Amino acid sequence: MTAPTSNSFFSKVGQVVAVLLIAAIFFALGLWQLDRAKELKESLVTATQVDTNVVPLTTIATARQPLQAEAFNRLVEISGRYVAGFRAPNQADGDGQVSDWEVGLLQVGTNQGILVVKGLWSERLLNPDISMAMVIDIKGQLVASQSEDRSMNGDGAISRLDSSVIVGLTDLDLFDGYVLAKSESNNGVELTRQRLTPEKLSSRIPGFYWQHISYVVIWWLMAGVVLYLPFYRRRVKP
Amino acid sequence: MKSSLLRFRVMAIVAGVMSLLLWFVDLPVAYLFNNPDWKAAVAWIPFVHGWVYFAYVIVALQFSVKAKWPIKKILLLLLAGTLPVASLIAERRVVRRYS
Repeated sequence: MTAPTSNSFFSKVGQVVAVLLIAAIFFALGLWQLDRAKELKESLVTATQVDTNVVPLTTIATARQPLQAEAFNRLVEISGRYVAGFRAPNQADGDGQVSDWEVGLLQVGTNQGILVVKGLWSERLLNPDISMAMVIDIKGQLVASQSEDRSMNGDGAISRLDSSVIVGLTDLDLFDGYVLAKSESNNGVELTRQRLTPEKLSSRIPGFYWQHISYVVIWWLMAGVVLYLPFYRRRVKP
Repeated sequence: MKSSLLRFRVMAIVAGVMSLLLWFVDLPVAYLFNNPDWKAAVAWIPFVHGWVYFAYVIVALQFSVKAKWPIKKILLLLLAGTLPVASLIAERRVVRRYS
């Protein structure tokens, strides 16, 4: 007579434990999504607030390593020699103006290099006395590599502002991202030309943030359903 | 029972369609193609699927508990909402048994 009672007791305990475990898993999944939403929000703050301090490029970036989120849009200074030049067609500036840009490959030290956007392609002949032997001091904004092609590679043109598209053309260890030059100078003499403005940064939180928040609600509602289910089953039973 | 069966049928079909979109449109775009525009265009699919699946769980629980199904069968019915055609198959079987 006691065996069924004992079995029934253990079965009840097992059910309670199972319900609590599943509800805890759903609750934890909600916390995980909440964490992802928080991380996304923090990364956007990093990306949209430009630190106005100018720092040497090598203090925030390393050649052949992906740029860290903290390095995006920082103002950097860098010195080196231009060893190659490219045309970057169909680039849009901060005002949405689409034009071809002049891009130089700047050799930094003996074996490192980074792409530098100098200005409009149409103004490339404004400083004809600049040669490869000259050391150019640059201040500019470090921008993340573009992921979408704007044109085809070839004939001196690069499809997008991304060091990976010129890897086969140079032996240099390339930095990720590119520098949008705000000034270039040689021996203290500034090279005058129109400088390009970066694309406007948006502080709007994209849909993915709200998607994560939505999943938080769903997981926690699931946890609620699991906790309520035993009571519902009891209510439905005649 | 009849109204809970109808609710289950509707949600099983909607969840089945959303699962098909998730598995054969959203996931390939997200993991096989490197196209941000496409990714943005299909971003609504997992979002809507999440809510549709939650609604499916509610109506599936309501129906299966009323039908006095055993726990294992209820769990299988809930899992059917996560696979592309499983909820559609479940809906057909339920219709055959209860209509």
